[in-house]
Amino acid sequence: MKKGIALLLICLLMLTACSSNSNSNSGSKNTGNAAADTGTAGNPATTEPAQAKEITIWAWDPAFNIAALEVAKAEYAKTNPDVKINIVEYAQNDIIQKLNTGLNSGTTKGLPNIVLIEDYRSQSFLQSYKDSFYDLSSSIKGSDFADYKAGPTSLDGKQYGIPFDSGVTGLYVRTDYLEQAGYKLADLQDIDWNKYIEIGKAVKEKTGKALITLDPNDLGLIRMMIQSAGEWYLKEDGKTPNIAGNAPLKEAFEIYKGLTDSNVANVHADWSQFVAALNSGDVASVPTGNWITPSITAEASQSGKWAIAPLPKLTANESVHASNLGGSSWYVMNVDGKETAADFMAKTFGSNVEMYQKLLTDIGVIGTFKAAAGGEAYGQANEFFGGQKVVSDFAAWTEQIPSVNYGINTYAIEDILIVEMQNYLNGKDIDSVLSDAQAQAESQIK
Amino acid sequence: MAKSKRFFMYLFLSIAAIVSIFPFLWMVVSSTNKSVDVTRGRLLPGTHLLDNFQKLLDTTDLQLSLINSAKISITTTLLALLIASLAGYGFEVFRSRSKDIVFNILLLSMMIPFAALMIPLYRMFGKISNVFPWMGIDTMTSVILPTVTTAFLIFFFRQSTKMFPKELLEAGRMDGLSELGIFLRIYLPTMKTTYAAGAIITFMSSWNNYLWPLIVLQTPQTKTMPLLISTLGSGYAPDYGMIMIAIVIGTIPTALVFFVMQKQFVAGMIGSVK
Amino acid sequence: MKKTNSSVSIRTKSVLTGWSFVLLAVILIFVFYFYPMLQALILSFQTGTGSNLTFTGFDNYSRLLSDKTFITSVKNTFIYLLVQVPLMIVLALFISVLLNDSKLKFKGFFRTAIFLPCVTSLVAYSVVFKYLFAGNGLVNTMLLKLQLVSAPIEWITDPFWAKITIIIAITWRWTGYNMIFYLSALQNIDNSIYEAARIDGASASRQFFGITVPLLKPIILFTSITSTIGTLQLFDEVMNITKGGPGNATQTISQYIYNLSFKYSADFGYAATVSYSIVIMIALLSVIQFKVAGDKNG
Repeated sequence: MKKGIALLLICLLMLTACSSNSNSNSGSKNTGNAAADTGTAGNPATTEPAQAKEITIWAWDPAFNIAALEVAKAEYAKTNPDVKINIVEYAQNDIIQKLNTGLNSGTTKGLPNIVLIEDYRSQSFLQSYKDSFYDLSSSIKGSDFADYKAGPTSLDGKQYGIPFDSGVTGLYVRTDYLEQAGYKLADLQDIDWNKYIEIGKAVKEKTGKALITLDPNDLGLIRMMIQSAGEWYLKEDGKTPNIAGNAPLKEAFEIYKGLTDSNVANVHADWSQFVAALNSGDVASVPTGNWITPSITAEASQSGKWAIAPLPKLTANESVHASNLGGSSWYVMNVDGKETAADFMAKTFGSNVEMYQKLLTDIGVIGTFKAAAGGEAYGQANEFFGGQKVVSDFAAWTEQIPSVNYGINTYAIEDILIVEMQNYLNGKDIDSVLSDAQAQAESQIK
Repeated sequence: MAKSKRFFMYLFLSIAAIVSIFPFLWMVVSSTNKSVDVTRGRLLPGTHLLDNFQKLLDTTDLQLSLINSAKISITTTLLALLIASLAGYGFEVFRSRSKDIVFNILLLSMMIPFAALMIPLYRMFGKISNVFPWMGIDTMTSVILPTVTTAFLIFFFRQSTKMFPKELLEAGRMDGLSELGIFLRIYLPTMKTTYAAGAIITFMSSWNNYLWPLIVLQTPQTKTMPLLISTLGSGYAPDYGMIMIAIVIGTIPTALVFFVMQKQFVAGMIGSVK
Repeated sequence: MKKTNSSVSIRTKSVLTGWSFVLLAVILIFVFYFYPMLQALILSFQTGTGSNLTFTGFDNYSRLLSDKTFITSVKNTFIYLLVQVPLMIVLALFISVLLNDSKLKFKGFFRTAIFLPCVTSLVAYSVVFKYLFAGNGLVNTMLLKLQLVSAPIEWITDPFWAKITIIIAITWRWTGYNMIFYLSALQNIDNSIYEAARIDGASASRQFFGITVPLLKPIILFTSITSTIGTLQLFDEVMNITKGGPGNATQTISQYIYNLSFKYSADFGYAATVSYSIVIMIALLSVIQFKVAGDKNG
């Protein structure tokens, strides 16, 4: 017993010893910061320039958007060596929670100068906390970026966001499985989703592999399909639910059921299982955003077996072979240092063509800045994908993505649709599925 | 008959132990594999332990987060045990009608989900920041203060005190000890196992606390372990091998506290045999 | 007369000493729980997205009653409550009594092993659970090999089995935790009571129901109340293992609060209303539990 207590005490002592050590460090840092903060809060007129020259940015993926920020930071430092840029990494969900709590509590303390927000969510932040974001109309031009990015990043004709990555989609396929089933990559260049299911049946018969893997809690596939036909869960005003009478949505539901009914779909429950399904060779294809590339190429033994075809299209509404899934943009917060932050963004992501080449070659970011969608880096062949010029294909598809208004309720409606999708798969009639979903969405969204 | 009963006892406990340990083992095994193998559910140890660890050290400030978490959890545990045991003892030993009412009111605080308190609490600390920056947003104090007193722990100490032999109190009073003296000299040593259980539980929940630190801590210098682990899992292509080693490291302190504290259970038992 | 006088002053003194023991805790709880709770109550009468809040009276509360998602969440939560809490408490009590046997070998090992799940990080254990219970996961593979089932069970994607998976997950994680409370209480019981019972020839089950359960009653009541509260606020397991799915077949009230606050366009007013519905339910259940336990000391 004595031993136990002694051991614990030693542990405690050791920990408090190292903690008191660093305590003094972080303590002084904290008070330093806090003193500066209260200084500016107390007397905004005397904001020293030194204070405004330090900006903080929140983003979430060290291999992707944070890496891009590091490149931008280095570029900006060439011309503005006096600006200090702090890049802070949080998980995407964590950023949403922090931003919501911070903005809602009415205290600007602790908010960053620049934050990365997913396009599906940006309007809900812009419309709920309009005054908390800084209008960038004078720093950048929305029309310099892919057209479909305009909806999420602007509000009332003002440009609030700097579009970042493209969520342009493609159909990643295993060419070896295709060939066993009697198809070639060339056969997939202009197909609709029914043809896709048909190919899937052949693949299943010949190879025993599933065509696709689906997560019952994520209707990303439906979102891709309807955007390719220029529709969304909401009408163009971004507020009225657009479910009953939405022809592309109805067709998308039918295709989803077709995939499960014809037994060509596997099921996964989260991201790691999704990636595992691709890496283990259990599925023959995956229609998704270009950001999946690093996860696929991580399995080096499959090099040369993959290719990327254009996304299949719907038969309704002049659907095209291009769509979007995910993707995000930068936003400048309306707090001290906003001018510096806007300047940083304008000089890097807003105009620097060369930087975009570097982002592509070093990190694999396919941007949405139109002027940068060319050049050597874009034309390079990718050996993993059998020598396909993957990036120039994606860049070409990016230009064709139909523009839709994601509105403020994408995820609320999707949760309603997820439930109704289960009902539909269990035999409920499609028209009552959609009209029930419409009714519930109307009552829930105000 | 006694023998077969013994056998089933061991069998049952062994199955329970294996089922309990398996995910933990899997976690340790996974920390030695590369990301692709982790997602496939590979059950054999691999050779990527050092790689994963190196990557973790390169991409995060592991040491800082460990120290931050340790400071917060140890302070919280010590303060929480003191405050809650004093109160639990007070409510039970000095029972009165009015104290019972207050106690029942305190219990109400367990009932509201933390998500509902978050915004008001954040506002409160935002205001505190302007007056006392050292206990405002982004400080250790702001993490500790709202979590250090829980009705749960007070309730636990009070329920345990119900089993505390009251004759010992009388004996203490006879010996002329002050009330605080009785608490420190008689109650505290007698209730060792209760304190040990309380310490394990408090340390564990403080170490793993996620939502409030996430909201109130702002800078990389104050990041705690759960925040660090949470950051690793996002992104388009998370490295699961690296995440697993981070999780293993993040679990060691709570497991360690349990190991050390469970000696108290053994000690308690020897005491009662004697 | 004199005597009563002095006894009054002794009583005042003892009252003061008593209050001084509990004072610090009371102040801290009022400041950090009840003040924000009051603010949340005010919030529950407001509506609007983000920071543009306006008062709407009882609108949020009447919205609750017609909100299908809310009603499903309440149903799910109660299914977990009724099945999982009794299961876990009986299991924890049983294990702790076995572990308290003075002749048991490897006691430390068993105790540590069974406690481990609740120190294991949530992220790790959700990944492990999803892997174990996947369509082609280890659990199905074993069941198929033992020929207990003819086709793989859809543990995570079928509405019924997903609930079972969640119940297994909570039980797995929290049984060891509750066991610690029982063990700590058992250790405080004087062994001589059992010895006396044994001399009187009482069987093991008789000892269990005649001595252990009555003596542990305060702690059993404690754990059943805290487990009830824990289950009514259940969030972590569901969020990490099934995300509430398939559809909203496993969604809980707390998860709905989270979705209203963070996943959808932030509606903190309505989220606070849903939170208060939990408060009301917990308060009612706690009263019932106290009554059932017949603990007049409360």
